[in-house]
Amino acid sequence: MKEKRKGPLSRAAGLAEGMAATVRRIQREREPRVLVYDPAGYARLVQPEARGHDRIMDVAEQMLTQVAGRE
Amino acid sequence: MAILTRVADTLTPEGAAERLRGLSADVRAAVLLDAAGSLRGASDDDHDDAQALGDLARKLFEEVDRATRDWDTEPPEQVEVQIPGGAVFGSRTPRWTLVAVARRGALSSLMLYDLRAVLGELEGGPSIRRSSSAAERTPGPDTEEHAAEELPMPELGGQ
Repeated sequence: MKEKRKGPLSRAAGLAEGMAATVRRIQREREPRVLVYDPAGYARLVQPEARGHDRIMDVAEQMLTQVAGRE
Repeated sequence: MAILTRVADTLTPEGAAERLRGLSADVRAAVLLDAAGSLRGASDDDHDDAQALGDLARKLFEEVDRATRDWDTEPPEQVEVQIPGGAVFGSRTPRWTLVAVARRGALSSLMLYDLRAVLGELEGGPSIRRSSSAAERTPGPDTEEHAAEELPMPELGGQ
């Protein structure tokens, strides 16, 4: 169980920890990756070294370039 | 005397990509393919650009199927590709494939939900209800009965 923080400094530290964790999570979510989802919604990561991973990334980058080119 | 008929706002394949872009400000472009992989709708008016994006969308799922064909799971229904500068999301049913190019920072769960919702509506599911301010709503009788009609009522005791 998490220890309850006491005092304003401890609360501020707790807030900072929470914000740092959120930033780390957002950065992690934006890391280059390929995820596929089955019909039930379960996600599975296509490992970077897996067959086809680079080709999927390549196609996605082409799509992004295509859209960026006309904006 | 004029007779006014209210026609339901049925989602067509041609309007699906634009509907998706209307749902999410993070969608930069979207395309809809049919089961044969042919382009059936795009958020972009330029036919050549839309066709090129449609070809890439078809290729995306071909590559996903190739990469996952040895997995002992069902073929993926949705895909998310995070790349520097943005993301690509795709969702498919046996009849349709909807693929969107999104801005960096788009929330994956929301994007995937919206894709599935648009495809669901296209398959004849319920229309996506969008919230609107009171001023935008069609004026109706301002009564408690009218207000009660708009509130979701839980069904009690139903098993």
